Amino acid sequence: MTNIIETKNISKQYEQGDLSVSALNDVNISLSNQAFAALLGPSGSGKSTLLNICGLIDKPTQGALYFCGENIADASDKELTTIRRNKLGFIFQGFNLVPVMSVYDNVEYPLILLGVGKKLRRERVTAMLETVGLLPFKKHLPDQVSGGQKQRVAIARALITQPRLVIADEPTANLDTQTATDIINLMYTMHKDFGTAFIIATHDERMSSHCNIEYQLHDGALQ
Amino acid sequence: MKWLKLAIKNVLRNRRRALVTILITAVGVAAILIGGGFANFTYVSLKEMAARSSGHLIVAHKNYFDKEESVPMEFGLNDSNSLTKKLKSDEDIRYVIPKVEFTGLISNGEKSTIFMGSGVDPKYEFKVKGPFLTIDDGNILSKREKENNPQVMLGKKMAKYFNAKINDSLTLLSTTVDGSLNAIDVTVQGIFSTGIPELDKRSILVNINTAQSLLSTDKISNLALHLRETEATFSKYNKLTREYADLGWQTWLDTAFFYVGVKELYNRIFGLLGFIIIMMVFFSIYNTVNMSVVERTREIGTLRAIGTYSNEVTRNFVLEGLVISFIGASIGISIAALTSLGLSIAEIQMPPPPGRTSSYPLAVDIPVNLYLITAAIVTVVCIIASWLSSYKASNRSIVGALSHV
Repeated sequence: MTNIIETKNISKQYEQGDLSVSALNDVNISLSNQAFAALLGPSGSGKSTLLNICGLIDKPTQGALYFCGENIADASDKELTTIRRNKLGFIFQGFNLVPVMSVYDNVEYPLILLGVGKKLRRERVTAMLETVGLLPFKKHLPDQVSGGQKQRVAIARALITQPRLVIADEPTANLDTQTATDIINLMYTMHKDFGTAFIIATHDERMSSHCNIEYQLHDGALQ
Repeated sequence: MKWLKLAIKNVLRNRRRALVTILITAVGVAAILIGGGFANFTYVSLKEMAARSSGHLIVAHKNYFDKEESVPMEFGLNDSNSLTKKLKSDEDIRYVIPKVEFTGLISNGEKSTIFMGSGVDPKYEFKVKGPFLTIDDGNILSKREKENNPQVMLGKKMAKYFNAKINDSLTLLSTTVDGSLNAIDVTVQGIFSTGIPELDKRSILVNINTAQSLLSTDKISNLALHLRETEATFSKYNKLTREYADLGWQTWLDTAFFYVGVKELYNRIFGLLGFIIIMMVFFSIYNTVNMSVVERTREIGTLRAIGTYSNEVTRNFVLEGLVISFIGASIGISIAALTSLGLSIAEIQMPPPPGRTSSYPLAVDIPVNLYLITAAIVTVVCIIASWLSSYKASNRSIVGALSHV
């Protein structure tokens, strides 16, 4: 079976004036459809960098990156955007919802980008909001709902296009314990129900209990 | 529609800033339209005045406009009646009015001065001049004056010079076509004002028969052709110059020095003002969109991450600029239209311009194409300003945008 994402000896260096800082060194990971992977490690270990590369919003300075079997190291910005639009979903630590859009509009947005018709959009968004328990809040603006609800909106937005892979960067970091547990459970349920692979950068140990793969990063290298 | 709704919501995010930008755009649009409308009213009035004064087209002897006459009426038109008849058969020509231009001395017996006289056909001349000739005292020349009692109309300043009253008698002295001197007594029928002091000091009007009698000729100096539409002047000029190539032709524009001078001056003044206003609108919208872009950098990163192309992000900001420009331009157009209406009701008079004695109405006549051109320019300026301020942010690194604080 073809992996959704596969990295081969990828490294990432950041140039800061005359200094070159190494964020990742020879990292090899591969994620299949069934992956519910945790990316663990202390702050500054390179979790976000690896996540950004897997999410195709950053490029490695060395090594090969395969998405669904295709080497995309030399893909253009437009090609990468098209892949993200069609096959990836993102969940951010700070929720990153568009504040002027309602809950419904935020979830609907990726479907508009895909050119899905209005009727089908309505059906799918309504179903998704029902799944994440936010249908009664569909007209609310993001600042009119709680942190946990915002993250549910973000999860709904990430999954509405039925992506192959969801990239989640510290999705429970800004949430209280109970809400974080709910979000972890929701993500896991969605992974099971939708068959979507997840890669989650986290410090939350409860997350790892659900994960079938764990990558431990330290100083930019896998342990 | 979705994108437009989103753009409107984004514009309303910072209402005070959006309001200020909309007001700057509105005031800018209104200023351009009012300034342009005032200039347009002036152009139209001066054009009309020039055309009514000289005729839309002037036809004369081939040498009349280019060479100096050695004796009066050397380059006058013979048998103008048959030419008048032919020209009158053209449906686009409303009037064909003969004129005799002559100069000489005018005296009341006690003092004399030089004059510039026009022999006119009273039946049509005063009809076409309309409001551009003010009768200060007395009447216009009679259509059928008595042969032994020729009439004269004096310019206001000349009447003042002679202290002339209605029915006073004056003497006109001029050189005939044979080079001898001739004199004729005339009665003051009216006193007029052209609004130009230098002309009012020298101008007199007499019946064309009086002028011909004084010069001892049957010739006329020229024929003034008054068209039904001023806009048809140049097409008609091209047609008639081909048809009557043996005659000399001029358009009203050739004699409208004041119109040409004012238009050149106003075009430069209002052109420069318009440019400054457009630049103000440009920088205002650039600043507004730029601030919005900086504040929403993380959002731009998010939208890019979830699959929005950079040109789609730029397009959204351009739409926001367009929303501001549309609202601003609509308000500006309304302000200008109401100002135009208000001024036409208020009938405010402007002081006489330099070299003139008569005031003129402060009016704003905004043509439809000025509305359209202004709206189009503001729209283009908004698109450019929004595009310039958002393009770079839309194309920056997504990771950098997401980590923007």
